[in-house]
Amino acid sequence: MSYDNVIELRDLQRYYKMGAETVKALDGVELEIQRGEYVSIVGPSGSGKTTLFNLVGGLDKPTKGSVFIDGVDISQLDAYELAWLRCRKIGYIFQSFNLIQVLTALENVSLPTVFAGTPHDEGLKKAEKLLDQVGLGERMHHRPTELSAGQQQRVAIARALANDPAIILADEPTGNLDLNTGMEIIDLLHGLNKMRGLTLVAATHDLKMIKASDRIVWMRDGMVERIERG
Amino acid sequence: MKMNKEVPGRVHFTLMDAIRLGRGYIRRRLDRSLINIASISLGLSFYTTMVISDLLYSTSARMGGGQVAVESYQYWLVAVALVVSIVGITNAMLIAVYERYREIGTMKCLGALDRHIVLLFLVESFYQGLVGGLVGFSLGLASAIIITGFGAGFDIVLYAPRVSLLTIFVGSVSLAMALSMVATIYPAWRASQLNPVEALRYEL
Repeated sequence: MSYDNVIELRDLQRYYKMGAETVKALDGVELEIQRGEYVSIVGPSGSGKTTLFNLVGGLDKPTKGSVFIDGVDISQLDAYELAWLRCRKIGYIFQSFNLIQVLTALENVSLPTVFAGTPHDEGLKKAEKLLDQVGLGERMHHRPTELSAGQQQRVAIARALANDPAIILADEPTGNLDLNTGMEIIDLLHGLNKMRGLTLVAATHDLKMIKASDRIVWMRDGMVERIERG
Repeated sequence: MKMNKEVPGRVHFTLMDAIRLGRGYIRRRLDRSLINIASISLGLSFYTTMVISDLLYSTSARMGGGQVAVESYQYWLVAVALVVSIVGITNAMLIAVYERYREIGTMKCLGALDRHIVLLFLVESFYQGLVGGLVGFSLGLASAIIITGFGAGFDIVLYAPRVSLLTIFVGSVSLAMALSMVATIYPAWRASQLNPVEALRYEL
């Protein structure tokens, strides 16, 4: 059995209780994403992009329906297996970078390898290589506060790659960056997607990001409105 | 197409990893740690002052000096001081948890389990307890020598049984580490229970 579809969403629903009301953040999403694909998730705020991001990333549990990652239904996993999935299968990139402020760039990038059980020295070596690849070889001993926004996002990208995940999930990765820096980050992500065959799923408003993608999934009111080829 | 279905494995985070990371946190957020260290060393110095004074008075009495003893109500005061320092540490650690909301969420995204977060906080409090214990013992020893000095002579400490002093030293430092870790259990547990989705959305 092979899994061409690295991500499969089946009748995915996520409801939130807000007092007496039930908010349907996701209301029956069906989606298949193939290995190596670059998919943009687009939609107005409140359309369910972030909820989708959280569910695919194993950070949240669906009310109903299933998320399959590499053929495994992740709602069936226990806390240990879910942690492993987050650690090894998925790399996260956030709008606000979410680097650990007290750690240097190098330590931030090597942190995921700690949880993967990689020996300390090996993890550091790998982190150095990744920082080199994202163009930050010179600044690896700097802390996030000493780096520009674009550089911080590069560190975050290197960190997302630390355990060679199958999937990169990016939530508005250019949302806090100016136009040019945003372009550089898009190029970097796009390059990684093509060169490494990484599956890239990005929630975004950024037209340039949308243009670079293979497929565009338009969301509205917790449902997939339409899917376009990029 | 290669086979990709893989049985999920286990994530790792050894005590050594926690120590390495915990040390980094203490070093780079020294102000927070110093508050905890001050809190534990003040409570503990009060305790060691009492215990060592008692030892020195009894040493003096054995050598033919006057009978002076630490009053039992003073031990009640010591107990109160220790409770106050525990509460102080718990409070400072809870604030530390709030400060690190996003970091804890991020670590969970990278594969940290609840107990890894608890371990990280406990390692930090272990070190704070150790330093607080050493400082507290030194302060307590100094003030005990000064307090007893006027009645029993400032050199009385030289005649005190070494074994008793050593026992008090080991006991005090262990007590400091134990209190520091007890004070951290609740904040650490709170931190570990954070939902990563909410933690990542949190703005300080």
